[in-house]
Amino acid sequence: MSRLEKLLSGWTFRTATPTFDAGDVITAYVTHRDSDGYSVRVGDSVIRVGDVDDVAIETKVRLKITSFDDATYEGTGEVVDVLGEDG
Amino acid sequence: MPEEPDIELRFRGGRLVSALPIALFIAWAIFQSGILGIGDTTGLVAGMLTGLIVGMLFVRGDWKDYADVIFAGMTRRVAATAVVAWLWAGMFAETIQVGGFVDGLVWAATILNVGPGLFPAVTFLLAALLATGIGTGYGTAIAFTSLVFPAGLLLGANPVLLFGAILSGAVFGDNLAPVSDTTIVSAVTQDADIGGVVASRVKYAVVAAALAIVAYLVAGFGIPGVWSGMPHASVTGQVDASVSPWGLVHLLDIAIVMVLAIRGRHIIEAISWGLFAAALFNLALGAAGVVDVSAASMLLFSAPQNGLTQAVEALPLVGALVETVPAGQVGVGGSIYSGAAGFFPLIVLTLLLVAGAEIMRAGGGFDAIQEILIDRVATTVRRAETTMVLGTALVNATVTINTAAEIAIAPYVATLGKRFNINGYRRANILDANTSALGYIFPWGGGLLAGLGAMQGLVGGEATPWFTQQMVVNPATVWPYVFHGWFLVGVFLFAAWTGYGREYVSDRVSEEVSRV
Repeated sequence: MSRLEKLLSGWTFRTATPTFDAGDVITAYVTHRDSDGYSVRVGDSVIRVGDVDDVAIETKVRLKITSFDDATYEGTGEVVDVLGEDG
Repeated sequence: MPEEPDIELRFRGGRLVSALPIALFIAWAIFQSGILGIGDTTGLVAGMLTGLIVGMLFVRGDWKDYADVIFAGMTRRVAATAVVAWLWAGMFAETIQVGGFVDGLVWAATILNVGPGLFPAVTFLLAALLATGIGTGYGTAIAFTSLVFPAGLLLGANPVLLFGAILSGAVFGDNLAPVSDTTIVSAVTQDADIGGVVASRVKYAVVAAALAIVAYLVAGFGIPGVWSGMPHASVTGQVDASVSPWGLVHLLDIAIVMVLAIRGRHIIEAISWGLFAAALFNLALGAAGVVDVSAASMLLFSAPQNGLTQAVEALPLVGALVETVPAGQVGVGGSIYSGAAGFFPLIVLTLLLVAGAEIMRAGGGFDAIQEILIDRVATTVRRAETTMVLGTALVNATVTINTAAEIAIAPYVATLGKRFNINGYRRANILDANTSALGYIFPWGGGLLAGLGAMQGLVGGEATPWFTQQMVVNPATVWPYVFHGWFLVGVFLFAAWTGYGREYVSDRVSEEVSRV
């Protein structure tokens, strides 16, 4: 990323509930775990990734979105790469 | 980051007791600096050492585990990175100061020939420029209170407003400068590169600064000026004769550091280039006789008088860095030495504080507080960011040395932010802005105390014989006028609620922390 891009990034109002499209690959921290497995919360949107090996809360992962509902801001995804704690 | 130690500590009284070393430190800091008014960082080191020893008494089981956790904390990369960056930043800042940079700014203030109404706004801008260059808000508060404050009073500016403007400039630089200690801590603790952090925080700093300039203009023309009886005079003539504009060439080496840092060069490399440039400018300015600076201003060995040292002193080149002195005055000096040495107490304090934080982590106190925050307070991203803003502001409002407060709160900002995948840049910006702002507002704030100390020095000073004890600004009256500090907190509360500037981890990955 260039110096100018760094300066100009983020001069916007970003929603509390970002949306994703199926097929998107994103990098994010695993944030929660419940009886359905792990989930990744981005703002107030939630992507469930199920049970994954070698993952804990605050592990950074790359995940592929498999579905996302723009009305409830919930979706599902699968972990494609585990990047570690602060990767 | 190194792997987390596996050691778990158990404390008599439960998990929260593991917070005892840091809690004792905070109580010590409030007692020492807030109540007794002693702004001595080495005193806080004693407080943290005491906290670590007292905490050990509450450990169940082997005390060796407690000691191991202290070692694990002190050897964390976050501590080492901050230490290294401070040493470099300290050398650079001191070197441009001995090169007449402050004189250059004073010259600029007087040559612009601004009146009392405009003076606070211009002072804010120039103080912000100095602080952004040297990265130390405390240094800026001291330099501007010593040099620009009396000039403003003579022009008829309101003293409380003027002091507030100086502190506001210090806040701006502490927040934005890549060589600022708080900037470095904010980037390192949130796993983000320093250049990216600086670039990404411009969007908050300029909004707050624009509001602050307007506020200083309105207040400058709206609030009555100096006390009656103070000698009003145009100081332009006097100051012109005594200060040199040439120190302003150091704006170039400040630009070198900022551009290289924002381009993603390692902070050690960026500052080293700035340091080379600053040293060359100093040698040139000194040789030309326009600024009173020489190689010895940057590095000077004051050696005891004997045959050998006198022979070395007489040598070409090396001799310029050596002087022989009576036995009682032996030592090493110059900006390279004192710039680095100035950070030694803070470095030791930081290592011990990180150890205290590690104990809290190993003992579960960190988790206990975090669970309360995550389960009950920060339940949405807006509430999480608002908690980060207010939590940082609160801790910094109570602990005088803002870098120490920042280190204590940083792990919470990291964890709360990561739970909502808030980008490292955004987390670092929330952490640093509110740290910088609150350290200069209240009467016990370290930055305010530093400026106040300089103001006491004006009483009966050689250059300011007219300045009396009753002209010293009451520190308890300044807080409403540190406009940039208040606007910065306000901008972040607005940003937390509206999403201004918010970025998620998935929007942009911050560069490796190893590139700081």
